[in-house]
Amino acid sequence: MLDQTIKEIRSEIDALLPTITTNDQLEQFRITYLSRSGRIASLYESLKSVPKEQKPQFGQLINAIKQETESRFESVKTTLQSSTTRQASDVDLTLPGRMLPKGTRHPITRTMEEMKNIFVSMGFGIVYGPEIEDEYHNFEALNFAKNHPARDMQDTFFVKEDVVLRTHTTPVQIRVMKNRPLPLRVIMPGRVYRNEAVSARSNYFFHQVDGLYVDTNVSFADLKGTLVTFAKNFYGNDIKYRFRPSYFPFTEPSLEMDITCFLCKGKGCRICKHTGWLEVLGAGMVHPNVLRNCGHDPEKYSGYAFGMGVDRISLLRYGIDDIRIFFENDVRFLNQF
Amino acid sequence: MRISYKWLQNYIELNASPEDLSFKLTSLGLEVEAIEVIGKELDGFFVAEVLDVQLHPNADRLKVCKVAVSSSEQPLQIVCGAPNVAAGQKVIVGLAGAKVPHNQHDPEGKPFVLANATIRGIESHGMICSAKELGIGDDASGIVVLDKKARIGTPITEHLGVNDIAFEIGITPNRPDCLSHIGIARDLAAAYGKKLILPTLKVKENKKSSIKKLTNVRIENSTDCPRYTARIIQNVAVKQSPEWLQQYLTAAGLRPINNVVDVTNFVMLEFGQPLHAFDYHNLAKHEIVVKSAVRGERFVTLDGKSHTLTGDELMICDGEKSVAIGGVMGGMNSEISNTTNTVLLEAAYFSPTSVRKTAKRLGISTDASYRFERGIDPNVTLQASDRAASLIAELSGGEVLGGIIDVYPKKIVGKKISLRVERVNKILGTAISLSTIAKFLVSIGITVTVAKDKKSLLCLVPTFRPDIELEIDLIEEVGRLYGYDNIINKTSSEVMFSKPDATEARISEIRNWLESNGLNEIMTNSLIDTSSAQLFSPNIVTVKNPLSQELEVLRPSLASTMLQSIGYNYNHGAERLHFYEIGSTFSTEQISGKQIHVAGYTESRILGICLSGFAGDISWYQKLRKVDIFDLKGLVLSLLKGIGLDNSNLIYYNAPSSLTEMTVGIEINGTYVGFIGRIKSEILKNYKIDQEVLYAELDVDSIVAIHSVKKYREFSRFPTVVRDVAFIVRKEISVGDIEKEIRSFGGSSISSVKIFDVFEGKVLGEGKKSVAFSLSLNSFEKTLTDGEIDSVMNRVIGSVTKKFEATLRSL
Ligand SMILES: [Zn+2]
Repeated sequence: MLDQTIKEIRSEIDALLPTITTNDQLEQFRITYLSRSGRIASLYESLKSVPKEQKPQFGQLINAIKQETESRFESVKTTLQSSTTRQASDVDLTLPGRMLPKGTRHPITRTMEEMKNIFVSMGFGIVYGPEIEDEYHNFEALNFAKNHPARDMQDTFFVKEDVVLRTHTTPVQIRVMKNRPLPLRVIMPGRVYRNEAVSARSNYFFHQVDGLYVDTNVSFADLKGTLVTFAKNFYGNDIKYRFRPSYFPFTEPSLEMDITCFLCKGKGCRICKHTGWLEVLGAGMVHPNVLRNCGHDPEKYSGYAFGMGVDRISLLRYGIDDIRIFFENDVRFLNQF
Repeated sequence: MRISYKWLQNYIELNASPEDLSFKLTSLGLEVEAIEVIGKELDGFFVAEVLDVQLHPNADRLKVCKVAVSSSEQPLQIVCGAPNVAAGQKVIVGLAGAKVPHNQHDPEGKPFVLANATIRGIESHGMICSAKELGIGDDASGIVVLDKKARIGTPITEHLGVNDIAFEIGITPNRPDCLSHIGIARDLAAAYGKKLILPTLKVKENKKSSIKKLTNVRIENSTDCPRYTARIIQNVAVKQSPEWLQQYLTAAGLRPINNVVDVTNFVMLEFGQPLHAFDYHNLAKHEIVVKSAVRGERFVTLDGKSHTLTGDELMICDGEKSVAIGGVMGGMNSEISNTTNTVLLEAAYFSPTSVRKTAKRLGISTDASYRFERGIDPNVTLQASDRAASLIAELSGGEVLGGIIDVYPKKIVGKKISLRVERVNKILGTAISLSTIAKFLVSIGITVTVAKDKKSLLCLVPTFRPDIELEIDLIEEVGRLYGYDNIINKTSSEVMFSKPDATEARISEIRNWLESNGLNEIMTNSLIDTSSAQLFSPNIVTVKNPLSQELEVLRPSLASTMLQSIGYNYNHGAERLHFYEIGSTFSTEQISGKQIHVAGYTESRILGICLSGFAGDISWYQKLRKVDIFDLKGLVLSLLKGIGLDNSNLIYYNAPSSLTEMTVGIEINGTYVGFIGRIKSEILKNYKIDQEVLYAELDVDSIVAIHSVKKYREFSRFPTVVRDVAFIVRKEISVGDIEKEIRSFGGSSISSVKIFDVFEGKVLGEGKKSVAFSLSLNSFEKTLTDGEIDSVMNRVIGSVTKKFEATLRSL
């Protein structure tokens, strides 16, 4: 008897609930089934007349239908609430929207990623190396002779007599040339250290992207072509540039690339030290000694290498005048990017 | 290196403007870093003639002058207060607009700009200047009176001969030959196709007395000193140098001292050969011995500093004692003074390595050591000595003794290098002919012979270019002289496909995910102070030569520096700090699974996440609340899921961590990848942070190494039934355990278990809590019947109530 009633109520509810579209109908439903004097409450009344041994079984059945109906009621209620269209005139649209959280990427990472993306599109892979480096990789294998003034070009932090904080990302070139088969075309981004006083213009650590291409027939003309392509992609198609002979122990011939100062357009300003030019990278043909140090025959292979600083370029790109602000991480700074 | 434009013109005919010259130098690899117009501060001052002087009608001490500033224009009326002004004088006049460098009436002497003025009723159109006012002398008592022959209207810089242009050139360490005016002129001559003009060297010697009778030179250490020469100049009068010499030196950035020292500096800047002048009478036994220092010896250099020597230094000694550190600095005891009468002039070649080691060790860098370290020409010695000896004699009224002592046991000769034309063009990507290559090399002083096969050149490199050692160095010279701009920009090199980098893509994904969820990327220092670092790890990497105590060790944990940024922002009033950083941490400890690059050191690439302050921003639609551990736990697990790593497993530690409390470790597929927790308050105190900071650390390399390609899993297409159930249990029972129990007893028909309510309250009784679960049930085979659902629920309820002594709470 009782289970018949329960089944009936269940099928009534199944039929009725999907048809409810207004709050009034929903309230009517609540009164009929879920109120104190509703049909489900009356089931508990009927329970009293059930034989004792059957009470638990029916009790559970009634509990189940009660819980189920309540939760279905709630869900219809929620649906109705959300679909209730408020009168347009009631809505104050000047209230702010419910904003999604928005974080930011650090400007130095942004610059570095833009550089990486350009080189990746030109067929370069990406490799990383350690920041604690031994003197062999950081200097010796790169053709920096001991007691040569070229070592003064990079003020060095020492961890041990022959272990340093790398002064450039160039030692990664040695690591890849020793560990990977040729030909090789990779860039090597990362953090480097110089034992220099901190000021608005220079910091004791900064970031570099180094590049390397070694194959059987790589020339200085290839190097220039690569650098010009990069510079036009990165700085804009209409930039002017120049190449100057320079010196790095690990490349020969060596060059430095300048582009017209993008603040003064070449007229000369404080940033470009009144020269109209900004130095943006150093490069050259991999020195035969370096190839030899990595076990490659310089008669067979040639290659080019380049390296550029990320922090100083980021300063210029974002119009920041103090390099220290990058690492203070003030949220008022970070939230601008 | 500062180069004087005027001085340079002694060695090459230059028609180029300073700007063109600067461009040319830079294109040769001699980068002009700055151009300074010398005498610019005296723009607007001219030679003038006083035509007439009258007393000022309204002032006793002033005079009204008529002054001719140009031969064609009307004379100017100028009021002048100087006692010595008189008609007929040639004087220096500043016109309106000119800036007077020194104001005699200002206590600080600040400069001022001249304007036409009316002084006590009389118009005045300029100013007649004193030496002090112009900064060209100290005399402030009256105006400068020039020579009668001075030409009216001549700019005063030109009249004084101080109009010059100084180029500041950045000389790379491979070009010691360009640390002199002649060296620069040589490169320019090659580039412009002009002749290098060398000074004529003819020493007027007193043949009657030979140097050999007065002194003697002995080299005991010829490794560090391959060549030593000496000349003697007698009867010198030490005094100020003439104007021309002082001006050259000043333009090149040196301070004039006296005629003897100035000549040695002049010749160094001319030929690149550092020289040293000794007072001959201060040399015991009047002799020179070149030998290594005595260990423990003390020596006082010219600058008054005392040094204790190790024994490795090369010393110039007299018969008894050291008188100079070879190639580095002279000693106090033999310095040229006003009473010096006889000069012994040293011109030597010292080994670059030896000089560099000594200079480094003693912390001395001089113009001489700078040049010796880089390598001077061992064969320019005699020319430089002759040049200096004649100049000293000429400027000091002295005479050069007959002869020169030249101890040069083993002559250093130029290198012979063969250069293949084909190799030049292969490396440069050019098609330069043999004859053009030969022409370039000859222009910079290289002697070239064409090989028999006409395919290569045999080159004899002069000793002033120690940097040219290999064929590749010659190729660079060819490239430099051919012009980098004339080499094509080749963009058609074969494309070599690099392997797409999954690691990079994964890191980008992580960044994107974190930023999309409201985190700011930060970038922090890698060096910190020792005591902060010790809060995080005992295995710290220390820098031997730090910039300061604050930057003494490498960070052992990203938290150690991220907390600095949290602290900074917290103390600047920022209220929502959700930061992440990807960076390296360093340890002296071996960590298994980490690649060791340098023995003894481990580096890890870590993702650090810090949450502190409010969970969101203040808004009209949700209440502000502070972040707690569940924000971080949810964030990290969602991140891992978001990048496709959904097999994460949590390890709940009871073990104390030095860094965090409420620490939960995270494993993925059995690999430990990091942890989350709340930073301990004693650590926060160190960073002056007075609110909770939640910190998570994940090993980036471990995460990106876990390969995960998503596989499709079948899902039930039959209806899902949701059943809620609430238990009352003792407070200490963990929800996770109940959840696990429900899953295991519910079996495959339970597709999800969600916790939707947890609370404690008096109604439940002391030490109790209520936990409500919402279970989704379904089957892959059919629609579950009520009976089947009930039986699952009963099984679950039964096992939970039994295992956890739970009671069912009616919902
Ligand atoms: Zn500029």
